Amino acid sequence: MDDLFAPSDVSWTPVSPKLAAVRRVTSAIFCGLVAVAGLFAFGLMLSWLYAGLWVLLVAAGFAWSWSLIGRNQRSWKYAEREDELLVSHGIMFRQLVVVPYGRMQFVDVAAGPLERSYGIATVELHTATPATDAKIPGLHPDEASRLRDRLSALGQAQAWGL
Amino acid sequence: MTEPNAPSGAPPHAPDPDAPAPPPYGATPEPAPLVEREGDRLHPLTPFVKGWGYFVVAAFAMANNEGLRSNLKIAGIALAGVLVGGMLLGALSWWFTKWQLTDDAVRVDSGFLFRRTRIIRFDRIQAIDVAQPFVARLFNMAELRMDVAGGSRSDGKLSYFTSEEAAKLRGILLVRAKGKEAAEEAAQPEQEPPPLLVVPTGRLLGATLLSSTVLGSLAGLIWLIVATTVLEFHVGLFAGLPLLLGVVQPIWKQVVGNHRFTLVESRDGLRTKRGLFDLQRQTVPPGRVQGLLITEPLIWRRLGWSRVDLDIAGVVGGVSGDGEEDQNGVQLLPVGERTEVAGVLARVLPGFDLSRIEMHRAPSRVKWLRPVGWRYLAYGADDQVLVTQRGWVSRKTSVVLHHKTQSVRVQQGPIQRRLRLANVHIDTPQGPTDAIALHRDLADAADLLEAQTTRAREARRTTSAPLPVQTQPNAPSPEGSSSSAASPAEDNPAT
Repeated sequence: MDDLFAPSDVSWTPVSPKLAAVRRVTSAIFCGLVAVAGLFAFGLMLSWLYAGLWVLLVAAGFAWSWSLIGRNQRSWKYAEREDELLVSHGIMFRQLVVVPYGRMQFVDVAAGPLERSYGIATVELHTATPATDAKIPGLHPDEASRLRDRLSALGQAQAWGL
Repeated sequence: MTEPNAPSGAPPHAPDPDAPAPPPYGATPEPAPLVEREGDRLHPLTPFVKGWGYFVVAAFAMANNEGLRSNLKIAGIALAGVLVGGMLLGALSWWFTKWQLTDDAVRVDSGFLFRRTRIIRFDRIQAIDVAQPFVARLFNMAELRMDVAGGSRSDGKLSYFTSEEAAKLRGILLVRAKGKEAAEEAAQPEQEPPPLLVVPTGRLLGATLLSSTVLGSLAGLIWLIVATTVLEFHVGLFAGLPLLLGVVQPIWKQVVGNHRFTLVESRDGLRTKRGLFDLQRQTVPPGRVQGLLITEPLIWRRLGWSRVDLDIAGVVGGVSGDGEEDQNGVQLLPVGERTEVAGVLARVLPGFDLSRIEMHRAPSRVKWLRPVGWRYLAYGADDQVLVTQRGWVSRKTSVVLHHKTQSVRVQQGPIQRRLRLANVHIDTPQGPTDAIALHRDLADAADLLEAQTTRAREARRTTSAPLPVQTQPNAPSPEGSSSSAASPAEDNPAT
């Protein structure tokens, strides 16, 4: 019953693998900082043996995050149905959101500096409730703006007040 | 409250928003023409009524601060300084705050260093209430609260007017916000209808004492006292403070805040009136109800009592008094007996009968996740609403209207995955309603997701919106991050 989070009656679009690359870079920066900080903290206060162990530990954590990020990236997908947008993601904690276009209040397209340098963007759909979590990261900028325009148009056409 | 001798057919006069307002230097806003002028000031006592808190804080600080008390003279000067400064600031802010009604919006200009113009479009106003905080009531003053969808509470506050003016202005705004038909309807004077029900103070007190929070805190407090006095087991009396607060605060809030809770049916919908010191009035416009929540704590269930809260578009925390922000939406009934609750529900949602909805229980393997509570997890739906139930200590029944469903989500955590379970969330705008069908079998969850999506879609297509304001489409903005399409109040830095 893997169907629940990815009903097969719609065509799913995966997100760009560059999302994994961006997240791995972020993870590498974070792990690097943690490793260096721990290295000196342990090395200067206890012994360099512990410091070495710490670095190994962080390296192992990084390797784990490497594979986790890959799996997570592959889990992100979205589908445009006639009346709703479907977004599905997650490995451990899985989620599928179904948002009617007519419920949309506005669309955000955002891209941080790292995302921009890799050429991806995030599209987020907002409804009247903050609980709606319809965010699609890792989109090619062209696809992001296409999606934004399409969502806006559909949202306008099917708009329904509160 | 609504006797709007509103000149509804008043000639629409076109005020030029950029023209400098001719300052109407008359001290009090003259009662005569309440309609379109180039900006009126608020009541001149406003800074005092708003700022009395400073005085209390200053006095409190002095009473509590050893250093200040031993040095009375300096303290006095400091206090006077704070007071004068506060009054001066308040007076400045009052002087530079002007409001006016334009053709299609309320316009409020404020600020003397940073000028700010706020425009609240009539068609974005979801509800208009008149509130009287305690001090304001002493001076027969009132503030106007305009609820706008998506805006925070303070966005639409205009304080203070004299009570008569506030009521009159509310009438005018209601007419503007609701269109011509409502205007003609409202032109006929309305007699105060008899109250549908008044919650007796005794029941209010009893219900609060028997609510789960108070009982829990009380039990904790008693245990703490026994532990410290009899067993000489000094857990630290500091733990008692939050517990004591847990006992006193709800009682205070209920008994004072909901004193003489009265429900009245008026032309604009159900209206509530409550409060001992702060008289609060709220209107529930029909068709603006997004969902509702029925809460039944453990002991209340034996007595057949329950509480009803509503989600209203635009009202996030309209319940509590000044400044205090809580997410209670609109309280429809603080505590009511079964027949009363049924009667009230029938008025809010005609044709809704909870007992007729077939509830589907969660599968028994949920007991691994919720040893006791699994028996109380259920959901059900009919052609109008979806109902979810959960909770053992405090049973919460959420009701969501199909045509108000915002989005539907399925979620699953690692343990749920092992047990082949998933949660289905039915999202409604912010408010007390929290409809989650917890721990459903996977097939069941898939069915519910599909069925609810379909029901919401059908309901959106078939339900006609009863009010002109409601059908106002929230046009999405094509520019991504300039997410302003939905925000009703626009801040334009005035030149």
